Amino acid sequence: MMNAAPNASAPARQATPILLFDDECAVCRRMANWVRGVAHNARGEPTIDVRPIGEDPEVLRKLDPRLDIWQVYAKSHLLMPDGSILIAGEAVAEVLRRSPGMAWCAWLFSVQIFKVRPFQSLLDLGYVILSDVRPIFGCKSCGAPALWARPFVWLVKTTKRLTGPKAHAPHRPNFTPLAATGQVKPRPPAPPPP
Amino acid sequence: MTHRLSETTQSASRDAITSLNAAGFDARVLQGHGPIAVEFMSYSCAHCGAMEPVLQQVAETLGSREPIFRVNVAVELDLASTYEIEGTPTLIMFSEGREVGRSEGPDPDAATVLEAVTAPFGLQ
Repeated sequence: MMNAAPNASAPARQATPILLFDDECAVCRRMANWVRGVAHNARGEPTIDVRPIGEDPEVLRKLDPRLDIWQVYAKSHLLMPDGSILIAGEAVAEVLRRSPGMAWCAWLFSVQIFKVRPFQSLLDLGYVILSDVRPIFGCKSCGAPALWARPFVWLVKTTKRLTGPKAHAPHRPNFTPLAATGQVKPRPPAPPPP
Repeated sequence: MTHRLSETTQSASRDAITSLNAAGFDARVLQGHGPIAVEFMSYSCAHCGAMEPVLQQVAETLGSREPIFRVNVAVELDLASTYEIEGTPTLIMFSEGREVGRSEGPDPDAATVLEAVTAPFGLQ
């Protein structure tokens, strides 16, 4: 999904943009915490409402009927008060614009040269790279890394395996262990023997 | 800026896989008849995201011969615990309410997934 323009069917939005982030991904959680720390005005009020995506597609559709939960998990989405939706690098640029401490660099992303925004393009590229290498940072729910990133991910994992404690679970490339995401219910203790 | 409202609403209405909660699981799977496949998944799992279009395709191919359902393990913790789900996506095949096959993290391609969900029933 590309950035979406304001839409008449979208429900009325609050005055503060809503940033949806993947709460299962450690990298995304760190980014979200950073945004919470920098995105507030002089009175200390947040300029961005940072919310985890959650697990209910219907809750997201109530926020905006255009939101598809799979797409929201794939890339950062920023719901703007005017009803538009900014995605990936565009969302990051807007977050920086609305963070008083970062506004000094945010203007760069609006600079246009012959209808091209070179700094925005660089930011978009940086977003894609970070998104692709998230598994290096221990994100078990982020899926298989992109083809170009696989040698780097392999290198990091091999180094960790050789230098760190031995992993007992076999590696399965298309599988997200529940223990890694915290989505596992502790089993009740076994009843004492009679 | 590109507007893609129609695409997202279409994908929502085209869902060939029914999501089940615990009550739905009891009624449609445990009380169900014939071959049934259930994907234990989570929306935050990128492997499940990669599997989604493939499973939709397989569900459309199989139609009523073998309905495919979806259980969100992040919400249905008891079901995940009951079926000892260790990770996502996990496909469990049921017949007359009993587990007859299981596939954990299959390759997200149509042939592999079709084989995984039909093999316990010899449907292919």
